[in-house]
Amino acid sequence: MHVDVFQTLADPTRRRIVEALLSGEQAVNDIVAVVDIDQSGVSRHLGILSKAGFVQVRPDGPRRLYSLKPEPFRELEEWVTAYRRLWEGRLDKFADALAHKQKARAAKSKENG
Amino acid sequence: MAMNEQAKRRIRLERTYTASIEDVWDMWTTKEGIESWWGPDGFSVKVRKLDLRPGGQLHYAMTATAAPQVEFMKKAGMPLTTECNATYSEVSPPHRLAYAHLTDFIPGIAPYSVTHLIELTPLGDSVQMVLTFDAMHDEEWTKRATMGWEMELGKLTKALAKS
Repeated sequence: MHVDVFQTLADPTRRRIVEALLSGEQAVNDIVAVVDIDQSGVSRHLGILSKAGFVQVRPDGPRRLYSLKPEPFRELEEWVTAYRRLWEGRLDKFADALAHKQKARAAKSKENG
Repeated sequence: MAMNEQAKRRIRLERTYTASIEDVWDMWTTKEGIESWWGPDGFSVKVRKLDLRPGGQLHYAMTATAAPQVEFMKKAGMPLTTECNATYSEVSPPHRLAYAHLTDFIPGIAPYSVTHLIELTPLGDSVQMVLTFDAMHDEEWTKRATMGWEMELGKLTKALAKS
């Protein structure tokens, strides 16, 4: 998995562009209206998103229409699932260790009367 | 297409323990606490350095101890002990703790720095613990974590020059 997936989405403007594209294919002007930055900014971010494999573009007469590609999101989902599973296991250990700590202290305070 | 809701959000895990908030805090922030549970199954952890303050680092060694994990590491050609580092960004006892940690132990997934946030809230005689993991942390965070690393590397370079 590429580190780029996270770096690409670390930028809040790019996250907003991705969210705008969730409703389907859009031209640059439509995206500009939603994310509230100028056209050159949106184009620059679309370039980064496209290079990282998040976005594809197709010509439609004079316009260029942008849409999301599923692959990086699938990668993200796999990462999220793996990380969540890993931490669920660690939290089981955490609960056991905490119970052990409490039991040990209870035994000690009993000993000391 | 519908973007996966879970992937869009940060990862969030929530647990409630019958314990005092100080006990739960100690599990995260003391050498004894960390060594008693930290690390994946089949690994033991030894804390080498614990500098609990924003910008400070947790440095620990993680060693495969259980037979299947030992075998896995050997087969993968990896050493049994891995040195790990985390950099604290927020230390507010006993309620909030945040650190950046490089995840390099998920098979098939490249290492990446993840922000971990632990929030503790007392609820009568229990404690609610909420963990939030964010791999898409902002640039400011990345910068701070990098600075921590650079300080560490600077010290290492100096130490090596002396010997």
